[in-house]
Amino acid sequence: MEGCPRNRETCPKLLDLIPQGRKWYHEEKKNSDQEKKLELRLGPPGVDEDDRSAMNTETRNNIKQQQNIKKESEDKSIFSLNGNHFSPSNKTTHVPHISHKRTAPGPVVGWPPVRSFRKNLASTSSSKLGNESSHGAQINKSGDGEKQVELKREGMFVKINMDSVPIGRKVDLSAYNSYEQLSFAVDNLFRGLLAAQRDTSGGEGEEKPIIGLLDGKGEFTLTYEDNEGDKMLVGDVPWQMFVSSVKRLRVIKSSEISSALRFGCSKQEKMRN
Amino acid sequence: KANQSPLYMTQDRTEMSEDDDDQSPPSDLRSEPPCSSSSSAVDSTPNKSRNCISSSGTMTASQPFPDHVLENVLENVLQFLDSRCDRNSASLVCKSWWKVEALTRSEVFIGNCYALSPARLTQRFKRVRSLVLKGKPRFADFNLMPPDWGANFAPWVSTMAKAYPWLEKVDLKRMFVTDDDLALLAESFPGFKELILVCCEGFGTSGIALVANKCRKLKVLDLIESEVTDDEIDWISCFPEDVTSLESLAFDCVEAPINFKALEGLVGRSPFLRKLRLNRFVSLEELHRLLLGAPQLTCLGTGSFSHDNGAHQSEPEPDYAAAFRACKSVVCLSGFRELMPEYLPAIFPVCANLTSLNFSYANISPDMFKPIIHNCHKLQVFWVCILLDLCLHDSEGPVSELGLQAISEGCRNLESILYFCQRMTNAAVIAMSENCPELTVFRLCIMGRHRPDHVTGKPMDEGFGAIVKNCKKLTRLAVSGLLTDQAFRYMGEYGKLIRTLSVAFAGDSDMALRHVLEGCPRLQKLEIRDSPFGDVALRCGMHRYYNMRFVWMSACSLSKSCCKDVARAMQNLVVEVIGSDDDDDNRDYVETLYMYRSLDGPRKDAPKFVTIL
Repeated sequence: MEGCPRNRETCPKLLDLIPQGRKWYHEEKKNSDQEKKLELRLGPPGVDEDDRSAMNTETRNNIKQQQNIKKESEDKSIFSLNGNHFSPSNKTTHVPHISHKRTAPGPVVGWPPVRSFRKNLASTSSSKLGNESSHGAQINKSGDGEKQVELKREGMFVKINMDSVPIGRKVDLSAYNSYEQLSFAVDNLFRGLLAAQRDTSGGEGEEKPIIGLLDGKGEFTLTYEDNEGDKMLVGDVPWQMFVSSVKRLRVIKSSEISSALRFGCSKQEKMRN
Repeated sequence: KANQSPLYMTQDRTEMSEDDDDQSPPSDLRSEPPCSSSSSAVDSTPNKSRNCISSSGTMTASQPFPDHVLENVLENVLQFLDSRCDRNSASLVCKSWWKVEALTRSEVFIGNCYALSPARLTQRFKRVRSLVLKGKPRFADFNLMPPDWGANFAPWVSTMAKAYPWLEKVDLKRMFVTDDDLALLAESFPGFKELILVCCEGFGTSGIALVANKCRKLKVLDLIESEVTDDEIDWISCFPEDVTSLESLAFDCVEAPINFKALEGLVGRSPFLRKLRLNRFVSLEELHRLLLGAPQLTCLGTGSFSHDNGAHQSEPEPDYAAAFRACKSVVCLSGFRELMPEYLPAIFPVCANLTSLNFSYANISPDMFKPIIHNCHKLQVFWVCILLDLCLHDSEGPVSELGLQAISEGCRNLESILYFCQRMTNAAVIAMSENCPELTVFRLCIMGRHRPDHVTGKPMDEGFGAIVKNCKKLTRLAVSGLLTDQAFRYMGEYGKLIRTLSVAFAGDSDMALRHVLEGCPRLQKLEIRDSPFGDVALRCGMHRYYNMRFVWMSACSLSKSCCKDVARAMQNLVVEVIGSDDDDDNRDYVETLYMYRSLDGPRKDAPKFVTIL
């Protein structure tokens, strides 16, 4: 996986959690490690690793911000803080870079810059060769690809993050048959964590159920990223289609559904038609 | 290339590089010719009257004034002037030259459909036969802009229907074109010859059928990367039944099955056909049949490049390589929409002649294209998209960068490359900069955002720096990966010919953008997303914006107040802030800025989510 070549001494396991587009399933074999990492991770990212002191100079706010952005999307180079190219005294780290962005996390749309037209074709061609590969997988050209396919069949674990909760979780989609069940599971996973988070930021701290994930009426909304990298609202397509194309889940504040995500929906509508 | 006319070469470039051939300063389409007092100087004819007042639209004088004689002569001379750049210069000499140039310009290029109104076009240029018109900014392709933003072809076609009955060619890019527009086009221009629609949408196969049927002199029908709705019409059968004038037929983007028998018949009665780009509904067997019937092709889109499902068992397999071998003129290859890799070697016979190879629709890895590239010594344009670097998490050996290295070593004449990959190294990019000095277009998309050199962990500054430094002809650059301000410092220092720059998730501070705005004098098109550039940087470019076609900045750090300042200071600049309907108007943050110069002020068809400051 990118960012973590085997020949590097320090290979922060946290990097392995980052979905790299379609490929993060590779990390299934590190499942238990990941779970541990997720459970333990209350501090800033990378703090257990061979980190750079760039992190130490950050204010709590910045750290929180990084966490938010980290959860938001894959591939931000903030994770590279664990890599080799930042020196402790280097002021031009990527942290100030990210703090220039607005703090409200929104889905990142339109990346990679491949016309959606092409991506539709890619998914069409992969489905045509569906006999050779598993559902939703890209064309397997080499033996390596088959490994990926096998792992997918052992339960359908997808990572799920929630806004303002630093801890990510995982859900096994094969355990559910409907969006309602999934929504219920999300509530179970995050209700306590959310309350704990609000407690520390001076909120009430009592546990409120997380509802309205699917209809836009709740404080939070469930979204996902599909195998083409597009951010979508959960619930629009038949359940099985969703399961075959989902790569990760994200619970975002309903107020943060940016217009960018709405633009992406036009593609959904096209696909439905 | 001896069998290629300049027409074909130009078209290839336009298709493949998505860039125009314009080397000229901005087209000056002021309707008022330059004032006579400022137009002295270039006068070699002593008899030439300096009395510019006499120039009027018509020449009705009974006695031929020196002016009119001159204009007749000029007309005969200027009609041979093809280059836009030269024509723009000629039109600025004096009023007389202005007038004659306007009369003799037959091909008009409009890089931004909102830079002027259709009326202005038809008022100045009276004898237009060919129009090239571009609409939406490129980032609209990636869902960074809501649909229905604009760029409608309708007002243009209705104006031209009355003004240019002899119109022959329309070439549109990122325009919204309806079936009604196509119907009007087919009706209004009896001599119509060439329709090229690149990245367009809004129409379907019914509109195409109308064009095929009614434009009896049609030579070119190119649908490229456009969204064409399937109206379930057998449009291929709508071509006239007798011999056609077709020279180019491209429908690789049409997502609808086609009547192959009709297609075969059409190809059979099109003796001038040189370019054929099939869609993915044409199988390898069908391609084979077409190739046997049309070995004169120069440009081929291979369709699916895979078997008909279930159709192939009975007969012995056709000799695909032989069919390709017979096509001695093929120089441009694309397609491979559902590539069956085992058949790829069939194209070996044509590799040595290839100048353009587009694998971007193919699921292909460097291991697969390396043996092919090895034979493509003449290659000038190469597009590939390595979606899956399957080996990288397992093997020691890198994949993407070796692919790039192989290309740079095999194709020394490379001029244009579009390369998508997951990861890259500075070394490979530097190697390309040294091996391929002819590069004019370098577009490298490292799909992992902010990704450093995966071997050294350093930013990709040095790689892109080497490109701008060593590739002295570079006019278009798209960067990616982890980039600091240093990369932009290199661009500003060395990228003196750069006209188009695409930036995403790069840079550390305003200084980066400043380097570019201050250092790249030829910069015309600037598109930036998700980079930490703000008001300070925007203000640094005020001296440039009138000389640019457009600037796009989305998800940067711009404030509305600063954009308002820019709009106020530059009256001929249209400053669009694009958001969503329910954006808080009081919010100072600008999600998307799209600004462009315009002669006719802000457009009247802006949708609700666009605020023109």
